[in-house]
Formats: sequence, C-alpha cells, structure tokens
Amino acid sequence: MLSIVKRILGQIKNDKRSLGLLLFAPLLVLTLLYFILGNSNYVPQIATYDMSEKFITELQQNAGVIELNEKPEAKNYLEENGIDALIWKDSEGTHIELLEKNSKSATALKAIQDTNKVLQPSQSELLIEYVYETADDNQLDSLSYVFLGVISFFFVFILSGMSFVRERFGQTLERMLMTPISRMDIIGGYTFGYGLLSALQSVVIILFSVYVLHLHVEGSVSLCILVMILMAFSAVSVGALVSIFANNELQMVQFIPVVLIPQIFFSGLIPIDTIPFGLGNLCYFTPIYYGCTSLEMIMIQGKGFMEIWPWLVGSVLFIGVLFIVNVMALKKYRRL
Amino acid sequence: MKIEVNQVDKSFKKQRVLNRINLTINSGRIFCLLGASGSGKTTLLRIMMGAIRSENGTVTIGGTKVPNQQLLAEMGYMPQNEALYEELSVWENLKFFAGLHKLNRKTFEKNAEELLQVVDMLQDKTKLVRDCSGGMKKRISLAVAMIHHPKLLLLDEPTVGVDPVLRRRIWEYLKQLKSSGVTILVTTHVMDEVTQCDDAALLRNGHIIAQDTVENLIGMTPNGNIEELFFMDDQSEVEGATC
Repeated sequence: MLSIVKRILGQIKNDKRSLGLLLFAPLLVLTLLYFILGNSNYVPQIATYDMSEKFITELQQNAGVIELNEKPEAKNYLEENGIDALIWKDSEGTHIELLEKNSKSATALKAIQDTNKVLQPSQSELLIEYVYETADDNQLDSLSYVFLGVISFFFVFILSGMSFVRERFGQTLERMLMTPISRMDIIGGYTFGYGLLSALQSVVIILFSVYVLHLHVEGSVSLCILVMILMAFSAVSVGALVSIFANNELQMVQFIPVVLIPQIFFSGLIPIDTIPFGLGNLCYFTPIYYGCTSLEMIMIQGKGFMEIWPWLVGSVLFIGVLFIVNVMALKKYRRL
Repeated sequence: MKIEVNQVDKSFKKQRVLNRINLTINSGRIFCLLGASGSGKTTLLRIMMGAIRSENGTVTIGGTKVPNQQLLAEMGYMPQNEALYEELSVWENLKFFAGLHKLNRKTFEKNAEELLQVVDMLQDKTKLVRDCSGGMKKRISLAVAMIHHPKLLLLDEPTVGVDPVLRRRIWEYLKQLKSSGVTILVTTHVMDEVTQCDDAALLRNGHIIAQDTVENLIGMTPNGNIEELFFMDDQSEVEGATC
C-alpha cells in the first residue's frame, strides 16, 4: 500500500501542471467568486414618493434617489426604468417594493435600513414587498461553504477518477494485479495517496479563504479543515467508483456533470426540506451533503464538534461503503 | 514450473475465442504461443494467470490451481502494450513494481542494475518514461516483468519494435534464465522468433492446431519454413495462394 502512495506522490511530483491545477485552480476560482459576489460598489437606484425631506437627503448618501410626484404601479415602473426599489408612506407604515430577491435589491434594502438607523427608526413600520416572490431567502454571500465544498470536491474527483481510468486503459492496473498485492491495498493506496494530496489542497483553500479573502468563519478553522479532508477522501472514492463505468477519458469527463450537478442541489443551495416527493432524502447518497452541512454549521452557525459529529460519521461511513464497493469492483480484473 | 491447461473454453459476447484448449508447458523450457493477431493468444495468457475466468476447464501451475495469490509472486508478466507510468522515471517504475513484490532495497537495486544492463537502459535510468521511445518502453516493460526474478515468465509479444541487435541480447538473456530453471512463455506472431524457442503451439481460430518441439514442427513442413504450419491443415488455401 505504501508503494502505491509513494508512486502517486511521485507521479504528481513529475507532473507539475496537475499539481498546479490541484492547488491553485481552486484558489483562482474562489478569488473570482469573491469579487463577483462580495464588495461591489453598486449604487442602488431608489424611487421615492411622498417621503420626508430629511429621509431623502439622508438616503442620497447611500443611493441614487428619484423623487416622484405620483405613485406609479410598482411592477411596470421598476421593470421599465431599471429602478431597484420604490418607497412610499401611508397610514400603515413605510412600504418598500422590490422586484425580486437578488444582490441588487439587497443593496437597496441595506441603503434604506442604513438611512433609517440614522433617522431614529421605528416611527413607522417597514413593509417589504417583492413583485416576484422566490422561495430562497439566502444571501449569496452566506453560501461560501457551498462553493468551498463543491470546488474542492470537483478537482479531487476529476484527478483521481482520471488517473484510475488511465490505469485501467493503459493496463497498468492489470499489471499491478498480477503481483501478489491485495485488492484492498490497491484501493487503500489510492484513497490515501490522492487523499493526502487533496488534504493538502483543502488546507490551502481554507487558509487562503480565511486569511486572504477574509471569509468569515464563525466556528473553528481547524474543524473546517477536518471536514474538507473527509470530503476530499470521499471525492477520491467517488472518482474511483465512477471510473469503473467509464471506458476512456472522454466518458469520464461526461460523467462529471452526472455526478456533480445533483450533488450541488443537495449542498445547501436549496433547503433540503423544501424538495418535493421525498427527493430530499437522496441527499444521504451524496458526499457533498455531509461535507457542506458540517461546513455550514461551523462557518455560519459557529457549531462545534459536539454538534456536527453525526455528519462527520456520515462522511466516514460513506467513505467506508465506497471503499468496499471499489475493492469488490476490482474483481473484474483479477479473480482473487 | 509446469503449466497445464485443461479443456479451457472462453467466449466474448457469444463469440467463441478459445475452444477446448489443452496445453502442457514443461518446466524449464521456452515455450512459444504462435498465432495471428486476434487468434486469442492474449486471452489464453490472461486465463493462465487467473486475470479472467474461463467458462470451462482448469489451469494448474506447478500443481497449484489458478488463481492463487502465492503463484502471482512467482510469475512475471509483460503485457502487450507497455503498461508503465509515464510520469515516473525508468528507475521509479522498476521501484514501484519491486515494492508490490515486497523486495527489499538491496535486492531491488541489484536486480534493477542487472536488468537495465540487459535491456541497455542503464544510462537512461533517470529518464521519464514519457520521454522514451516506443522501443525503449518495450525494454523497460520487459525489465519490470523480471524485477523480482520470477520462476515463470509470461511475455506477450516481448520483442516487437526492438532492434535486431538488442533482440538477440534479450534472447540470450532469456536462454540464460532458462538454464537456471525459469519457465518462459512467449506469444508472438513473428515467425522468426519461434526458432529461438524449445517448444511451440499454434493457435488458430480458437483451436490449438499443432503442438510439439520447434524442431519437430519445422520437420513437419515441406520447406522448413515454419509459416507453412498455418496452412497445413488447409492445403487448398495454400495451393490457391501459390497459383
């Protein structure tokens, strides 16, 4: 088993580009994501009708303000003029109408709330209405754990799956099996070899996110790393499993969306309990679910080991089951 | 190690590839399995090693039934294509397979130096395999198959693409191994190679059509050309071809 681990590390050492892709590509993608989602200098456009002079001057500090003389119909007005929010007052309180939930309306809302804070709020109630209701009220910024999980899973999955396909295709697998090595040693060596590499990747990604991108982690960073490493191990196992069904590298690439996209659905992007027909239960078959749920609990909710251990156990069980399946699958290449 | 193949059948998707194969390979001989490409040589080899299952029949090696993990330790297998790790150097490839056979470092280094000498790769040992030519890969692959000094060598078309000078050197080495008691099974579709072997079997359309010592087999042909053997059971075809 040790020879396989050493061999995998040796192979990667001589293949600098793969190593670079494994370590730096995720960082690049995360950085891009950081700029796309975070810290934009977008100035929201807000239309006002019948608001106090004081409110308007204060709001102008935070947003582009358009004063209206009559109250328009919200839907058409917002859509046609590219305005983010319409705000007016009546006896019930202050109404805010927005088109839909997205990062633009979020900045508009924030501008209004900031204004209210300055003006000693709660003289009137804020009534927020959306023209288009969407089920999701997550702020994209708080989904960092999904991207962390998915990106690291993706790169490790491809790397291990590909190299396993090549091993089958190039008959080195057969050659390996014609030595007295046990099947368990092969899968074990593979899982550990690539697991080590991806553990390194996980550490790099987390440290980069926390210390360079200043991603907010409520709980412990080292617990995050542990979760990421477990997820990386399961990515290696899934890669090895999928490679059984692929006869060449092209087919392996075709498997990527099949394996990956459904997992993204269960990563926390969509609340599991809102998925109909009990399809949400499928999450137990996706390793990303265990990883991303624990990451969410640590990074957003600041939970500790005592709260997340069931998901860690889930991850470990998942790896264990895949390990056995992979060992069985090698029987195809050697009867022992 | 004596190999006995007993009534072996094998089909792929209803197509019969091997049909009632019986074969005895005596210990300490160089045995040649001769056949056109696609005649089932590699399949037979795989069944003999225990890599794939035959529908019927048994294979025993040195009295032990295949598959057997202990037997694998005494076998050296060289697949038809190179089956090496491109990103590793020649030396690292040898080291990896030696590791799978649990050789200690001293034995490995001694064996590796000796084998690289034989296949004339000693000066290139730190070269990455992806930078090697096709012929060089073939030679490395041969060295990998012998790294643990097996008692039984199974070589699938070992000298294809190797230049004549080196080919002679490899055959000399194989003969030297034979005299130290190693059993060697070689498959080939190149007829010249056969004369280097002691015994040969001819495989055609999934049947063994002849099996004897190479001397006797050549004696059976009208003009001493071993290729004639393939046409002997089908005289009309030969006559048609000579017209």
